[in-house]
Amino acid sequence: MAIDAQKIISIYSSGELPRDQKGIIGIFGIYAAYNYNEFFYKVVSRAIMQVSEEEAEKIEAQLYQAVLDCAYYTFHGARTSMTWKQEVSPMIKTPEDEVEALIAFTNVFGIGYLEIVELVPGEKLVTRVSNAYDPARYLEEYGPQPKGRCYMFRACTASYMDLVYGPRFPKGIGTFKCEEVKCRSMGHPYCEFVATRKER
Amino acid sequence: MKLSKFVFTKKFYPEKNLIEFEGSLISLHCHHFNCGLLKGLEELKGIDGLNLFVKTTEEVYYHFFSDYLKRHPEFETIEDKLQVASEMYYAFGYGLLDLSNLTENGGIAKARSSYYVTAWLAKYGRRYSPVCYFTCGFIAGILEVIFNKSLGTYRVKEINCLIVGDDYCKFEVEKI
Repeated sequence: MAIDAQKIISIYSSGELPRDQKGIIGIFGIYAAYNYNEFFYKVVSRAIMQVSEEEAEKIEAQLYQAVLDCAYYTFHGARTSMTWKQEVSPMIKTPEDEVEALIAFTNVFGIGYLEIVELVPGEKLVTRVSNAYDPARYLEEYGPQPKGRCYMFRACTASYMDLVYGPRFPKGIGTFKCEEVKCRSMGHPYCEFVATRKER
Repeated sequence: MKLSKFVFTKKFYPEKNLIEFEGSLISLHCHHFNCGLLKGLEELKGIDGLNLFVKTTEEVYYHFFSDYLKRHPEFETIEDKLQVASEMYYAFGYGLLDLSNLTENGGIAKARSSYYVTAWLAKYGRRYSPVCYFTCGFIAGILEVIFNKSLGTYRVKEINCLIVGDDYCKFEVEKI
């Protein structure tokens, strides 16, 4: 692969994000805002720990869908932007290159560093992150968890496959599913995600 | 808004994909996620998800704004502290928030723009009730730090909101 991930990270992490006159950050067709990582951890963990198992599963599913929407539309907005066409597209020769480029782009948002472990073209993507914020906090505050807690990376991993190997945008969302097979909140040394095609 | 007096230190660590803002980790998220999370909480059965959202926001900003002021002892006056809170809110992308009329006893804060209004409209369209729950928690948390009060001292209610057609968002702050 010919993707220069460091170059992509450098391009998208430099400079200030564009704002309108009212201070709202709008970029790649989405509205973005910063918040403390502790904020997201606390809001989500408290919600799922305080409700019934059934309600917890419901909000986990909603979170997964919210992140999938977020990733699918943000990454598509990025890959159709002028900067991408000028700086990133020349590196992309194959669909697998595009997956790698999108993952590099993900590595500028402050959520921990995501890497590819395995990519089977059109079928399967395995990713890994060793420094996601939330799992260590779950372990610290609630002890070992019965299942993975990294909704962000799980949905992101599915979204790369949806965008690159699914039906043309915007119809490809949800083509792939993703499971978190290892999570630091469960005691594993890193978090790992496996995206595969949903059964047709 | 003048953005000359206060400078926030933000550092990106490319090898870790971490962003440090004044010594604490932050991350950037889009309206699909932020509004999806809020909507999920609003629809939760069994607990008051919106209250959880507001109280957690209050607690998080109580903690981090307190840390921020400890790092910046040069901000001594109430006026400066209110202004830097407003500019932090702006720096994070939440819009224009005027806190200048607040006192130890509470008062009124106004926002001429709101991230959650813009974001909710983009994601779900019009709604008929206020949506700036984040701002309510934020105001309570930073006021408790500025006036050296304990968590839970202030109750903030959004009584006007841009999303329902008002000219600006208006927050009534009451000392409990």
